[in-house]
Amino acid sequence: MSAPEVPEYAERLHRAATATREHLERSPVNRWEIFAKASFTREVEVTPARPLRVIDVEETGVAVRTLREGRMGFAAASGLEGDASRRAVESALATEVNFAGDPLPPQRLLGTTEVRPARILPPRGWATHVGEELARAVASLSDNHLRLRRTILQEGAFGWILATGDGWVARHEDTSTTLLAEVELVGERAGIWRDWLHIPEPESFDPEAAAARISDRALLTRSRIATDSGLRDLILHPEVSAQLLAAMAPLFLATPDTEDLLPPLLDNEGRLAAPSLTLVDDRSNFDAPITGPCDGEGLPARRTLLLDEGVPRHRLASFRDAERCGEVPRGGALRLSYRDYPATGIANLQVLTHGGVPAAELLGTADRALYLLRPLAPVSCRPETDSYRIVASGVWLDGRRVCGWHPVVELRGSLGRLLRRIEAVGADLRWFQTERGCIGAPSLLIRRQSVVG
Amino acid sequence: MPEVLRPHPPLDPRWLQLLSERCADLRGGGARFEDLYIEQRLESRAVATNGELQVEECRTDGAAARWRSPSRVVLHARTGLSTAGLGELLGRHADRVALPPVRTLQTVEMDPPRGWLDWAREVTSRLGPAPSTVRFLSRRAAVVRVGEWAPVASPPIVRVERGGERPAALLAVWGQPRLGAWLQELAEPEPAKAWEPTPGMQLPVLFTCGTAGTLMHELVGHLAESDLFVTGASPLAGLLGATVSTIGLEIVDDPTRIDLAGGFDYDDEGVGAAPIHLVRAGRLEGLLCDREGAEQLGTTPGRGRRAAWNRPPVARLSNLVIAAGKVPPEEIEADLEHGLVVTRVGGATVDPVSARTVLRVECGWEVRNGRRRRPLAPCELTGSVVEILAKIDSRVGSDPTPDWRLGWCIKDGAPLPTGSEAPSLLVQRLEVL
Repeated sequence: MSAPEVPEYAERLHRAATATREHLERSPVNRWEIFAKASFTREVEVTPARPLRVIDVEETGVAVRTLREGRMGFAAASGLEGDASRRAVESALATEVNFAGDPLPPQRLLGTTEVRPARILPPRGWATHVGEELARAVASLSDNHLRLRRTILQEGAFGWILATGDGWVARHEDTSTTLLAEVELVGERAGIWRDWLHIPEPESFDPEAAAARISDRALLTRSRIATDSGLRDLILHPEVSAQLLAAMAPLFLATPDTEDLLPPLLDNEGRLAAPSLTLVDDRSNFDAPITGPCDGEGLPARRTLLLDEGVPRHRLASFRDAERCGEVPRGGALRLSYRDYPATGIANLQVLTHGGVPAAELLGTADRALYLLRPLAPVSCRPETDSYRIVASGVWLDGRRVCGWHPVVELRGSLGRLLRRIEAVGADLRWFQTERGCIGAPSLLIRRQSVVG
Repeated sequence: MPEVLRPHPPLDPRWLQLLSERCADLRGGGARFEDLYIEQRLESRAVATNGELQVEECRTDGAAARWRSPSRVVLHARTGLSTAGLGELLGRHADRVALPPVRTLQTVEMDPPRGWLDWAREVTSRLGPAPSTVRFLSRRAAVVRVGEWAPVASPPIVRVERGGERPAALLAVWGQPRLGAWLQELAEPEPAKAWEPTPGMQLPVLFTCGTAGTLMHELVGHLAESDLFVTGASPLAGLLGATVSTIGLEIVDDPTRIDLAGGFDYDDEGVGAAPIHLVRAGRLEGLLCDREGAEQLGTTPGRGRRAAWNRPPVARLSNLVIAAGKVPPEEIEADLEHGLVVTRVGGATVDPVSARTVLRVECGWEVRNGRRRRPLAPCELTGSVVEILAKIDSRVGSDPTPDWRLGWCIKDGAPLPTGSEAPSLLVQRLEVL
């Protein structure tokens, strides 16, 4: 199952787009946009001693945006057949409301960036093989202190067409492979650790390396429970870093000046964070989870520099939000699915890790540090009060030695101070799916934060 | 206010009956046909940004067929409800498909109620300048099994989301009489001078205004779901039949309460809705099972719920209802020397490693000598699941109140509407984070 293996869907997408265009051309609209998508996913769950669970899903749909005489409509309908096109167009016209301006980007802004050909998905049976290999590797790596509880391998192929009434058309097809693994400690302290892995190149997938990644944190919690307080160095595991970035993400979305919460957070040099932190939203990274030649509205895919060595540079915006906020449109719209309106959003927000420190080295550089392993509640950032709050589970480190496990610890304080004390970023970037989008985050070393144990 | 659910299956009932009879002929490489799930959904959204309202509408339909063999469970799902599409779906796993002759299929219209958009416009204007979204969601479904089929109906619901500096959301059944009052609460500004309790403080906490429903949703509801019980991942695994809380505690999961957001008449595996007593007189008595979990645990199914047509059913809560006691909540509060009264909760999680819960408090009060002194700043409370249950005071409030903040319950990334109703409950000690 890969996009090239299902050519009839390319044809069905084309027919759906044509049928929708014909409906629209018969309607009294001034401008319009069609988005048609087909996706195929196979999810294989491997749990030792239980039947294999397989979920095969084909999902298709059409969405339409219309504009006529100052009124805008948006609707989506499932399917690629004539009825779906008709329903989408009729619903879009029925939901029209008055709208100031034109939400559809002008044709001069539309374009595509070159993308690599669709990747080939692994052969059938690969998921079962990976599950078995991982189970063996996890047990061996942990001296049988850990057990792989289950793995869920999700393979997907998708294709879409974006077309406008001006005759502009973009097409894309690709595949994706991800793995969700759950490990549990055997014996004295039960509990489940869950890890999500984005696998850009299934053919070079290394079960040993993956086993190390999904086991590292679980093994640390075998130490005794301990608490501590005071000013301590902090090390954030990539998952905690990703949740922190997710909470901060609204700072990097276009906002009218009157509602902008960023300026009060900046120091005298205009810096939000320490120079070690550079953030981009990279839609042209072939290895990132979200790929495509253009954003959700047809602006060419690109890398947008959000934070340049701690200094804010650009913000993400859909065409409409860019117009509203006086930003240059850089292609910051995202379609979560065909069902959703293309809105401002992060696609692949990532920390640049050029010169990043290997994670083991990062852990060794901190004395009496708290290593936060995973968030226990959504990380909260309130820019208006320059505050943050992290509730997490962690371990105390003294050099490289683990001194104890702290099951629930809360950290709070000034968001600006936290960000400006980031001394180093790790080289261990991982991708995470968060409620704000995909985030690529490494471990972060933060000096001298107040910890209440 | 919906008094009775009126199931309208997405397809012609006579055709569904015929299909269920022919399903006996489905065979597939040693696999047994389990069920065919058919669904239509409508989501209408009114999105307000900077005073401008945008309306979006999404209509989806799809179906999923399940087979089971000793070595694998397979679910095939696809968009669309055409007879040819359903035939193709069933044909992917069966050697021989014996579908009934094509009959014109009725498509039931699922338009939002008249006046919905005006109502949404009014709601967004009441919420002020912050971006907000009002959603109207409805679905119709049917489950076809060998020789039988069931129309699945659930009440249409509305979800109101307020963005900006203080994001919050409300989920309620469309027509719920208290919706207006809840919207007013959602729009209320944050208290100007709020008290931040010191981290590490251990205090008695009185959960009022239905907030005990959220607490029990996490502590009892989720942890009584059969998949967590079967694998031993629930901290309550092994405690079935044991006294876990005060003798006055009665907890029922009740999908027949269609005034709450988690109501339905049949679950998504075609089992008729019936209340399940989870805790009776403080004893853990019942579990929430899908068909598979019920078979493994030797109990009754009825909580197999699907997030959408393209997901398999899993054991999930419906509406958690905690029976009211006889003690006026003011009386319990008056006895607090120093403690917290919680009036709104933003959500809660249970950490599967430490079996501790973290509860996000949005609104409440500090109480000293039985009197409310200062409004509470948003904070988190924590405690061990088993210990919190054991520390629930025997005095149960006489004020059953539905909670509107619980909203979408997310399990393994799949959201579902759930509801709760609870009287005031006092937990003798919780730690402030």
